[in-house]
Amino acid sequence: MKFDVVVVGAGCSGSVAALNSAKKGYKTLLVERGPEPGSKNVSGAMIRESDISRFVDIDGLPFEKVVKSVKLVFSTKANSVELRIRPRDKLYTVSRLKFDKWLAQKAEQAGALLVTKTTVTGVEGNKVITERGGVEADYVILSEGANALLSMSLGMRRELKPEEAVLGLKEVYSMTRDEVNKRFGLQGDDGEAWRVISDNPIPFAGFVYTYKDSVSLGVGVPLSNVKGLKPYEVLDSFRSSLSELVKGSSLREYSAKVIPENGFPSFKACNQRVYVTGDAIGLVDPLTFNGIGPAIASGYLASENLGQCEGYERALLQEEEVSRIVRSRTLVKELLKEENFKFYVNLIVDLFEGWSSGDLSKLKYYKSNLWAMLRHLTLGLGVVG
Amino acid sequence: MRIEERLYTLRYKRDEQPHLMVKDQELCKRCNEEYGSPCIGVCPANVYSFVKDRLVVSYENCVECGACKIVCPFNNIIWKYPRYGLGIALRYG
Ligand SMILES: Cc1cc2nc3c(=O)[nH]c(=O)nc-3n(C[C@H](O)[C@H](O)[C@H](O)COP(=O)(O)OP(=O)(O)OC[C@H]3O[C@@H](n4cnc5c(N)ncnc54)[C@H](O)[C@@H]3O)c2cc1C
Ligand code: SF4
Ligand code: SF4
Repeated sequence: MKFDVVVVGAGCSGSVAALNSAKKGYKTLLVERGPEPGSKNVSGAMIRESDISRFVDIDGLPFEKVVKSVKLVFSTKANSVELRIRPRDKLYTVSRLKFDKWLAQKAEQAGALLVTKTTVTGVEGNKVITERGGVEADYVILSEGANALLSMSLGMRRELKPEEAVLGLKEVYSMTRDEVNKRFGLQGDDGEAWRVISDNPIPFAGFVYTYKDSVSLGVGVPLSNVKGLKPYEVLDSFRSSLSELVKGSSLREYSAKVIPENGFPSFKACNQRVYVTGDAIGLVDPLTFNGIGPAIASGYLASENLGQCEGYERALLQEEEVSRIVRSRTLVKELLKEENFKFYVNLIVDLFEGWSSGDLSKLKYYKSNLWAMLRHLTLGLGVVG
Repeated sequence: MRIEERLYTLRYKRDEQPHLMVKDQELCKRCNEEYGSPCIGVCPANVYSFVKDRLVVSYENCVECGACKIVCPFNNIIWKYPRYGLGIALRYG
């Protein structure tokens, strides 16, 4: 059999690539290894409406709640600082199974053929090899996620190093709709999301998301920091720090996935007829935790630029979110170092603590690190500007 | 809650053929002495354990996160996906 385009992986990136490719009139095959789209995928997950609506008609988007309030927490052993923001963008929480199924259905409606329970095991020339046989394709789009076995086997990228990868662990707890709203002080479909940056017991980033009938919580633990403490013990510690939040409710699901913190442009996004998108080239913004947005953008851009490798890479760099990710690589690498991570979390907490108690003497300690801070600030300005 | 209890919340369909294997047990012994076997430390599903000097891989429990092969200092893990959509299937994700 012959297709114009074969897309590997019906995650958010692959489904949008297939959707757009089919819309453009290409005969498109979308291959997913899981029993259904989304069944192998993990996210918190919070998405920004504008990230999706630029590329997909969002009518019927299966969201859980509309996030009306984001709580940002900086926490050390000694104390913690909480900030609350009303987001300007429209944010939703989604569950990946529903969200990915919805996106894959859109691709099917546009004319793409979806085949599930099938793993692509190789790409040789214009042949795409699967467990159930081979197909021919002019173009292959690899939207295979962070564990990108194919992209690696094709030499388009290497394996991530421990210091370039975070392990995300997640738990979902059942709760009635009323109970969710009561515990978070919410009404109707309004939702809340938490981001927690903590150095205790080891540096990690935590999250809490409200769904319709459940609450999800989780942590991202840098793989280079795993010493002595297992990542799920960090999750345990985070959950117990939330005390009453999920008390009395039962665990519905436990899951985990690697989050890439390096990639494009040092990983190749395109090679003649093979295009790579999303997590497979590390398009996650570690500063805002946005991975779905850039995954969708890159899936769309790959299908827009079939036959024009350089055009795709250029389009990626011109995409605002992707370009910010690329510019922030150096800074993120610096901030993920354990000593820097600890330093800044403590600085923020000490600053607020000192300010509230009227005693800023603790901050003297930070004076000796002025140069490092200045360097990070300069890197940070490069990310903004 | 123990990891085994957490894994009960997942739907698994077992592939009879293991999708994870270690290439060389001798390297694992060396790794255990030198690095304390990072695969054991990192795995969220307790797939790896030492039993009588051998690294045992309970691949049936794997949640397919991809972390173990990144932390293995000897690139000693053969990591494939379970075949035909077998392995885990999430309800939320
Ligand atoms: C715990 C956690 C929380 C997160 N929270 C957020 C959040 O709140 N907001 C956000 O925007 N991002 C979040 N992210 C990041 C986000 O999940 C990813 O950036 C996003 O899923 C990337 O999409 P993708 O399409 O590139 O890859 P994926 O969603 O991973 O999809 C890849 C697909 O390819 C399939 N596949 C892989 N190999 C093959 C093969 N050989 N053959 C066939 N099929 C294959 C897989 O089964 C999968 O369906 C989070 C991640 C984690 C782990
Ligand atoms: S990390 Fe690699 S070498 Fe070390 S014990 Fe595990 S599989 Fe063996
Ligand atoms: S992929 Fe993840 S769950 Fe599976 S064995 Fe490796 S570390 Fe454990």
